[in-house]
Amino acid sequence: MELSEFVQEGLQYLADSGYFNDKAFAVMIEVAFRSLLLSSSDDTVLDNNELKHIEQTVVKHCHSAVTTCILECVKQNADRSTICTCLEDIRFDPERIDTFCSLYQKHKKDLENVLSSIGRGLPHINDASWRLEYQIKNSHLHKVNQPSYLITLSTENSGSRSAEEVNFSCNMEQLQVRALRLSWKEASPATNVLHDNKITFIYFF
Amino acid sequence: MLLVLSDEHKEHLGFLPEVDSAVVGEFGRIAVEFLRKGSNPKIYEGAARKLNVTAEIVQHGVEGLMYLLSESSKLMISEVDFQDSVLVLGFSEELNKLLLQLYLENRKEIRLILSELAPSMPHYHNLEWRLDAQLASRALRQQVKPVLNLKLQLDDNGTRRTHLLQTDPATLLHLIQELERALAEVKTNHCRRILRNIK
Repeated sequence: MELSEFVQEGLQYLADSGYFNDKAFAVMIEVAFRSLLLSSSDDTVLDNNELKHIEQTVVKHCHSAVTTCILECVKQNADRSTICTCLEDIRFDPERIDTFCSLYQKHKKDLENVLSSIGRGLPHINDASWRLEYQIKNSHLHKVNQPSYLITLSTENSGSRSAEEVNFSCNMEQLQVRALRLSWKEASPATNVLHDNKITFIYFF
Repeated sequence: MLLVLSDEHKEHLGFLPEVDSAVVGEFGRIAVEFLRKGSNPKIYEGAARKLNVTAEIVQHGVEGLMYLLSESSKLMISEVDFQDSVLVLGFSEELNKLLLQLYLENRKEIRLILSELAPSMPHYHNLEWRLDAQLASRALRQQVKPVLNLKLQLDDNGTRRTHLLQTDPATLLHLIQELERALAEVKTNHCRRILRNIK
């Protein structure tokens, strides 16, 4: 796992008991994880009482180094031994490595969810609304007498966070959700297979 | 419901009894063709020469027929009503029968053509789907995330638009349930009553 010089320097401060005693270290790691998982938190790293005695630029540098390191570990799906090796190179104590690793294990799944939601993709459908109407007549044709549906698909684009709608009309035959039901039939067992075989997939690639 | 023909219209159609029923049949065919594809003034010239009348008279005759057919089809008037409406023109029995036949044979197609003029929303054309598994992204490696890609094709006044969309299996299930609820609604007593009674 490669970490930039800036990150390594920041972590080196953290490894140093002269800058961060054990309590401050634990607090710093906790705050780092919390700032990644909560979208807004009331206390910032600079306001934290336990860290007030440390020079603020060092605190900022360490915070950004730790958060980068955490994200890199999650991104690469790093296992314990990889993290230990990496932190040992930066001269972390075994206790400090332990503290880091146990918090990492605890929050890994949630962080994976956060990261997997970032990224480009097609507009993602999250809801469908419908309206059933009966067409009686229009200016060109009388006695139309046909039921029809107006469907609105709400989509969301993770890139721009904008919500768009796709509107279209269709008749009953077209709404016979054959296409969708077929894809669900295919998707449902396949999804189960995917979940069960997650480990196999990973090792296969 | 009777068709009310204006005096001008009656005057234009007044040309028809003066020619053979074969010619009227031909005019009828031309009228339907013009309704299908738009009018072609050259045809009027040719016909006018053959019949020894002005092109304008031929044009009025054909246009009168077009209007008669399109109005009758729009209102979907019954056989009896059509015959009664045409009676007022004072044509022969044979001519009336010819006009009625022209109406009945072409009414479905003319209604189809008229329905294309109506204001319409983008209309469903086709839906294709593909199930993928997302394995990695820039932000996270080693994923196994099922993704359903959809290609929705819509027709909007002749132009085809393609929407590429995606969803996940959980949302797909929700969409299916919602749309099935929509389908079930048309079978309820309330809707059945309306569909039965508004004709």
